[in-house]
Amino acid sequence: MKILRIIGIIIVVGIVLFVGLAFLLNQRPSSPFDEVAAITAPQYPVEEASYVARLADCVACHSLPGEAPFSGGLPMGSPLGVMYATNITPDKATGIGNYTLADFDNAVRRGVAKDGHRLYPSMPYPSYSKMTDEDIKKLYDYFMFAVEPVAKPNQETGIPFPLNMRWPLAFWNAAFAPTKVYENKPEQSAEWNRGAYLVQGAGHCGSCHTERGLAIQEVALDDSGDAYLSGALLDGWHASNLRGNQATGLGRWSEDDIVQLLKTGRNKHATVFGTMLEAFNNSTQFMTDEDLKSIAVYLKSLPPHGADPQWTYDDATKVAFAGNDMTAPGASLYITQCSNCHGRDGLGRGALQPPLAGNPTVIGHNAESIINILLNGAGRMVVDGVPDSYRMTPFRVLLRDDQIAEIATFIRSSWGNDAPAVTAAEVAKLREDTDPTSDHVIILNMR
Amino acid sequence: MAVNLMINGKATEVDADPQTPLLWVLRDHLGMTGTKFGCGIAQCGACTVHIDGVATRSCQFPLEAAEGVKITTIEGLSADSSHPLQKLWVEFNVPQCGYCQTGMLMAAAALLDEIPNPTDADIDQYVSNICRCGTYTRVRAAIHKAADMMKA
Repeated sequence: MKILRIIGIIIVVGIVLFVGLAFLLNQRPSSPFDEVAAITAPQYPVEEASYVARLADCVACHSLPGEAPFSGGLPMGSPLGVMYATNITPDKATGIGNYTLADFDNAVRRGVAKDGHRLYPSMPYPSYSKMTDEDIKKLYDYFMFAVEPVAKPNQETGIPFPLNMRWPLAFWNAAFAPTKVYENKPEQSAEWNRGAYLVQGAGHCGSCHTERGLAIQEVALDDSGDAYLSGALLDGWHASNLRGNQATGLGRWSEDDIVQLLKTGRNKHATVFGTMLEAFNNSTQFMTDEDLKSIAVYLKSLPPHGADPQWTYDDATKVAFAGNDMTAPGASLYITQCSNCHGRDGLGRGALQPPLAGNPTVIGHNAESIINILLNGAGRMVVDGVPDSYRMTPFRVLLRDDQIAEIATFIRSSWGNDAPAVTAAEVAKLREDTDPTSDHVIILNMR
Repeated sequence: MAVNLMINGKATEVDADPQTPLLWVLRDHLGMTGTKFGCGIAQCGACTVHIDGVATRSCQFPLEAAEGVKITTIEGLSADSSHPLQKLWVEFNVPQCGYCQTGMLMAAAALLDEIPNPTDADIDQYVSNICRCGTYTRVRAAIHKAADMMKA
């Protein structure tokens, strides 16, 4: 009897504490702009305001192709169910037209909507929380005064009850979403700090390039964690390793190479593709040269993650081709299907046809991106408003799973490349996952 | 940007954006329309030329990579249509509509340079050009005959 009573008391006290904590955590957070009077006219030149929106790449997720920018609707998959990006145009009824600067700040940096509900962390507020007050003010300016209001109601998520309750997200936030603006490291240069600010904050590079833990949280939100930006799987792609690994990261890239990729979509090592295409088309190509240089300086300061095998070019493959030696599995298919663009030497053609020899994506441990791009090709890169002429073609109709596996294995083990083989089963799985008519097609997760 | 090209043994200067595909440099800037546009994505082979002797699809070959290499187009395969393949193409009535055939000839010629006596498998591998009229069997027969002739 006594024990039961004690247990009962513990349970009651536990429930009271839990409800109390949930209540406290679900309070409206405070914003430095709480006392700011309503803003009725732009405070910044529109170029400055729109530049912050470019940095944060809001348009990539909050828009659907062919529909008004920022009017929402893009479906995003999650283990719980599908969710839809919202209308963030200044429409008063369906968008964020009634948001004050403080409301806007709470949504962007703390993941709390005006009505108090918690946003899903597919909105990268754990990264945006590092943005400065001034950048948030500019962003607010942009959305209130530069974006056309569009009346388009938000779509309900496809997440079933009880998982669709938002209040438990406050616990997630308490554990995984810091709310501290980026602080300059005095021992680093101004350029490095600007780069760190852009990469960790508005650029939210880690949303794709950092692996996620059990609670779908990024395992590191800055360079204090050595898995930060070390590459991660998402949406059937493997976002590449941006750390200093010689073979599989940016170890062989110069700062100028990084700037060139983010500015033009290409350099002598690689070409943007997959979900990075969205980031390039909508965001990085619009950044100033100084900001791109800062990003390069910061990324080049990240040491390798884990083992760091070295890659060197081996011309044995080229010699075999010259002697019409097609004994290596996949060699014959490579000649017929791939060599026209990537060359028998695997070196591509300047900056326009990417090399396969030593390409970090080709020799990365995870072959997801290689299989995906072989099956589905690359999307269209648009530079300065001009769609580009060089683009990977899809082979999903032309080649069988075993043939794609053979080609992938061949390019991962030629010209000095030394990455694990790819199986037909892996290709078959991704083929089905990326088939628009399949009942479990991959839809965009987080980017 | 001015780029110096070596086309069919002749030094040629072209002023064009370095990203321009070689196909359009040939056709639009130099008026060499023997090389055809088919798909634009290096799949069909209608635009095949030789780069340093290797059959290459010019629609995906950027001008910036064309400096310092030897380019041969259908106009340069022979001075007077006397290449054995060109003669056999007539004799065997290989072309039907003909659109893909300049690329087909260039791929076949590069193959015979590399492998003087190709098997059917070699032909399939190196001449992956696509023909809407389905002239493949005549293409194959003409290549085999040319190999015999060139051996003799």
